[in-house]
Amino acid sequence: MNTPAAGTPLIEVSGLKKYFPVKRGVLARHVADVKAVDGVSFVIQPQETLSLVGESGCGKTTCGRTLLRLLEPTAGSVRYSPEKGPALDLFSLPRAEMRRVRRDLQIIFQDPYSSLNPRMTVGNIVGEALLVHKICTKHDVADTVADLLVRVGLHADSRNRFPHEFSGGQRQRVGIARALALGPRLVVCDEAVSALDVSIQAQVLNLLKDLQEEFKLGYLFIAHDLSVVRYLSDRIAVMYLGRIVEIGTTAEIFENPQHPYTQALLSAVPHADPGAKSCRVPLSGDVPSPMNPPAGCHFAPRCPVSEARCTQSYPEHRSASETHRVACHLFD
Amino acid sequence: MSAEKERDGEVLLEIKGLRTHFRGDEGIARAVDGVSYSVRAGETLGIVGESGCGKSVSALSIMGLVPQPPGFNAGGEILYRGEDLLQVSENRLRELRGNEISMIFQEPMTALNPVFTVGNQIGETVSLHQGLNREQAREHAVVMLDKVGIPAPEKRVDEYPHQLSGGMRQRVMIAMAMACKPGLLIADEPTTALDVTIQAQVLDLIRSLQESEGMSVLLITHDLAVIAENAHHVAVMYAGKVVEYADVMQLYRAPRHPYTIGLFRSLPDLAPRDQPLATIEGIVPSAFHFPGGCRFRTRCSLAQERCSAEEPLLEPVSSDGGHTVACHFIDETDSLRA
Repeated sequence: MNTPAAGTPLIEVSGLKKYFPVKRGVLARHVADVKAVDGVSFVIQPQETLSLVGESGCGKTTCGRTLLRLLEPTAGSVRYSPEKGPALDLFSLPRAEMRRVRRDLQIIFQDPYSSLNPRMTVGNIVGEALLVHKICTKHDVADTVADLLVRVGLHADSRNRFPHEFSGGQRQRVGIARALALGPRLVVCDEAVSALDVSIQAQVLNLLKDLQEEFKLGYLFIAHDLSVVRYLSDRIAVMYLGRIVEIGTTAEIFENPQHPYTQALLSAVPHADPGAKSCRVPLSGDVPSPMNPPAGCHFAPRCPVSEARCTQSYPEHRSASETHRVACHLFD
Repeated sequence: MSAEKERDGEVLLEIKGLRTHFRGDEGIARAVDGVSYSVRAGETLGIVGESGCGKSVSALSIMGLVPQPPGFNAGGEILYRGEDLLQVSENRLRELRGNEISMIFQEPMTALNPVFTVGNQIGETVSLHQGLNREQAREHAVVMLDKVGIPAPEKRVDEYPHQLSGGMRQRVMIAMAMACKPGLLIADEPTTALDVTIQAQVLDLIRSLQESEGMSVLLITHDLAVIAENAHHVAVMYAGKVVEYADVMQLYRAPRHPYTIGLFRSLPDLAPRDQPLATIEGIVPSAFHFPGGCRFRTRCSLAQERCSAEEPLLEPVSSDGGHTVACHFIDETDSLRA
């Protein structure tokens, strides 16, 4: 697979923050913030798959949505390099221009049941964006939609049917066809295969890989299933309470994890092999609230190797290799 | 199944030819259609299969929790310590439920009552079955919370479900289920809604409680890895039937049914990244329209005429008879594993 080359990155995220205000009382006083994403930086190269992994509430989904400006960011910047022309700062683009850029940036959602409008035919769901962006006219949209449906493995005549007539895996294919319709360059896959059974999941994963090759897509793949992530990703970023604690190539993360959280997370994954010796790093307790993250390193209260300094300051990112960065005081 | 001969534990639960069907708009859905398996004392039987294969419905049938109508029993026996649960009175069933046989569910938030404290809910079971008074029940609840590893149980006992995290709620569910020291714990996707680190904690808890209390566990999940680490025996279900049954080692080392082999091959765990994943073509047939003969034949690469004409039965494939497979072409399935 392609390792991050020194080209122009497709997308460059720096210091991204998204806080959700918490309001209390009749006056709706702003009492606190849920720091869902708290200073996240990474780049994605063209045709690369970067995965964001972490447990529920770590901010991975919010990160994906804020990056696409589906949620307004609190701070930070996202620079996108279109095929032609200079790089654009997505967060300062005027609405009309942002709308044009949206053709290049698409998303596939987790739940194939709630992400498709039940009152629209599949043809309208997939074709809507083509009409909105004036890529097709009413006359030729049907043919384009038929081609897209065939490309994702559905029958061309599915376009006259409604979402409820399809199985979960087929619906997810509709969601993929919709994301592909505008010829995107970056697709955020937000838990795109999590709701599917394994045999169907394998079909959809193969499809995502084929499409990446064919349409030269970059993926931001958000998932909690580490075996899926390992199969699909070029690089992986591990998030904990709104921050990236470790980022590296798939091999670096899986074979040489440096952050205690990454090690614990990987060791907790069960293996489909009854003979495998499990050597779990036991993690006690739950993820703390992102409203009130612990002082210092957020992972310190659950960390099996934490020291005094861990509760005093948040560790800086240190480099383990050119592509591998870790935020841990104990790493050197 | 003849596997029970090889282990010493007595058979605690035996299901024979169970059929649980549902009436629906399109006719009759044969969700569970002739399923047999048994659970020995102290063992964990894993039931694995994809959505709609009937694994949960078979568990609900044991508990008598299938909504009727639309569900109804269309045959079979569920023998718990020799007593047929399909024949006993509702009163007797109520005595057994929560006491002898208890169940934990996938979604701990919806399975707990939001308007009662967790202590109340755990205590309810014991006061009902063991006649403890309020104070004793509360004390017992504290003991149970402590046993499932909830910190500060004296404080937590008076909290409501919404005050707890997902992992804690699942622990409360387990505490409730374990409160009367059941002989059989049915765990239906107990960790599917939980994160991996919490999943590991909860599964470790179930395993250690099983060892200390000597109960049997019926573990229902779609996750082959969870089964691998927790079950002693495994039944693989497809379209309302058990298609393969074996010792966990046997099954993972040498699966024989084309469906089981397909499931393992579609796991991304060990697949090389530069090759496409093996897939099982097509989708699971609807329970209203299962194909005749072998139900897997519409997705099976080995299917021949015989498969549509004649339904394969579970037949032993190992010398000790502990590994059974329902396929007409067992000898050819090795070619699929390549």
